[in-house]
Amino acid sequence: MTPLARRTTAIALALGSTLAIGALSRAPYTADRAAHGVVRLAWRARGERVEECRRLTPEELERLPAHMRQEESCEGRVLPYRLQLSIDGARVVDELVQAAGARHDRPLYVYRELTLQPGAHAIAVVFAREGAIPPGEREASEGTPPRLALDTTVALLSRRVLLVTYDDDARRLVLRDGSP
Amino acid sequence: MAIVASAQRGTRRILAGADAWMNRLYGWRFNPLYHSGALVVALLLVVLVTGIYLLFFYRIGAPFASVARITDQVWLGRWIRGLHRYASDAAVVAALVHALRLFAQGRSWGPRTLAWVSGLVLLFTVFICGWTGYVMVWDVQGEVLARAGARLLDVLPIFSEPISRTFVGERPIPGAFFFLNLFAHIAIPIGLGLVVWLHVSRVARPALLPSRKLMWGVIGLLVALSLFWPVAMGPPADLFRLPAPAPFDWFYAFWVPLARPLSTGFVWAVTLAVAAATLLAPLWTRPARAARPPASWVDERLCTGCEQCYQDCPYDAIEMVERTENVKAGASATVARVDAGACVSCGICAGSCAPMGVGPPGRTGRDQLSRVQAFVAARRPGAKDVVIVGCDRGAGGIAAGESFHGALVYPVSCAGSLHTSVIEYLLRAGAGGVLVVSCPARDCWNREGPKWLEQRVYHKREAELRERVDRRRVRLAHAAVGETGGVVAELEAFRALLAELEAAPREAEFDVVRECDTAPEEAAR
Repeated sequence: MTPLARRTTAIALALGSTLAIGALSRAPYTADRAAHGVVRLAWRARGERVEECRRLTPEELERLPAHMRQEESCEGRVLPYRLQLSIDGARVVDELVQAAGARHDRPLYVYRELTLQPGAHAIAVVFAREGAIPPGEREASEGTPPRLALDTTVALLSRRVLLVTYDDDARRLVLRDGSP
Repeated sequence: MAIVASAQRGTRRILAGADAWMNRLYGWRFNPLYHSGALVVALLLVVLVTGIYLLFFYRIGAPFASVARITDQVWLGRWIRGLHRYASDAAVVAALVHALRLFAQGRSWGPRTLAWVSGLVLLFTVFICGWTGYVMVWDVQGEVLARAGARLLDVLPIFSEPISRTFVGERPIPGAFFFLNLFAHIAIPIGLGLVVWLHVSRVARPALLPSRKLMWGVIGLLVALSLFWPVAMGPPADLFRLPAPAPFDWFYAFWVPLARPLSTGFVWAVTLAVAAATLLAPLWTRPARAARPPASWVDERLCTGCEQCYQDCPYDAIEMVERTENVKAGASATVARVDAGACVSCGICAGSCAPMGVGPPGRTGRDQLSRVQAFVAARRPGAKDVVIVGCDRGAGGIAAGESFHGALVYPVSCAGSLHTSVIEYLLRAGAGGVLVVSCPARDCWNREGPKWLEQRVYHKREAELRERVDRRRVRLAHAAVGETGGVVAELEAFRALLAELEAAPREAEFDVVRECDTAPEEAAR
């Protein structure tokens, strides 16, 4: 290889590598190419908190530090809700939503996404408390209403997202499409 | 383990070809493959400086708008932003090359384990830093990265609320999210500095920056790239639309299309498996116990306390301690001691010790003299013969053979461990010349071998080649393992020079060991 050829190759390689970095730094990508639309169910709800309480025995109280001695001990949890979604009359989601946390004492979180063909669709969402307060337990706080429902017809556009969420102030499910 | 060894061999073969080619184009001093680790540091410094500039204009209350303003209105903003991104990308490439080299060369186990593991932590941290950086922009790429990351993090039972909920569109993205993201983007580089320190903590004289020409050359190319091909803004993030086509940085977002169709559990399983496999490389790349080279040791009877091995050790594995044994008149107050846990058995201390009292067992100066005596007895080099002392790991790959283009080949484990008395012995035993071929200085597996060898031969560094040795009959050369042609050229040039010299007489009887032995009193003087 002549010195000129070597120098030319060296410069070409340096430029080529630099351009490759530039190209890989900006290569176009479409995370979702489909023409469908998306219905997104997402909300956070404070469920019905129930507690099971019992009185501590004198021996148990004795074992506790003085500042922690409370005569009653309560274990709380949030009641589960059932989420049902029907689209155009067909049930597509039917599942039990447990409250988050290892002891199910955190809020209830719903997050589901469904793809649909663009066009008009009848959507029916029901989010209802499952079961009653068991005997021996008591209601500690009032959270989300025991039953939420949304029954509507939407016009879903291609590559757009419709959000079904819970409006804490209105205490009902609402539909949002991102418009102000 | 056979698979690992095979992968290492295969990678070494590829690297040998690439090294030889790059050396031919740029010269070994500016071969970027040799400087990959130092290039990472230089590029991260560029990222740091450009990042500080960008920070002045970024607003967590309006992330996309502020980045758009930086790109379109701020003085030099587009250029600085481009350089910030391109330098981050180049840092990933350099880091991967660096890791690949060390894996292929088997330099990831034993005392080098800390450097290997901290290097992987560095690479992972750089990825996280890049991730937060792209989320900061809050364009389509930022949104996709944020959602993909949140999806993975949500399966971990450590967050009180699913992170994905931040991106559902139920409410505007809280400013706290962008504040935390910015905080991470700034705090992580501070942590990076600490990990870099840890990464090089077990080597002496770490080369943190590449040669100046190479460093400015690389930075210059990235500056030119940012000027002539500036980074563009993608469309803004919109939580109520499917992600539009957008430019993605594949150095940091490569995992998004891979992870997208898979379940989070599977993605975590693969990620953890890859992380474990790479982090545990020191376990499965180390040789069997019997094949591991032993650490150096010091013969305290011979140690003069000169500190040369302590100064030359590339891994800070030698310390000077008070002499407790062999205390007698004229003996030094201190002796060298090797920390076996830090010694990689490079043998460079063997080449640094004039009285030949230190080195790995079987490779001390005295052992080298015994070996060269046997070599001379068997091969009988004549006045017209050149003996090539070739490094096992470089030297054009010629060390595996007994002869090369008519020259006798004398292999050594590292040219830096070669005791200069071996060169003297070969010449006094009748060899016409000695050509020592080491690896290129920046590619020495033991970091500083060629540097110390050159100083011992030409610059009177301790354990120097004696003045009585005719330097015209000694030549030092560098060649990577794939540069056989370079060795041929050096050999021919050396032979041409030797042909002009009178034949040196073979000495009938001499004892280099005795002549090299330094009396403790003399050494103390």
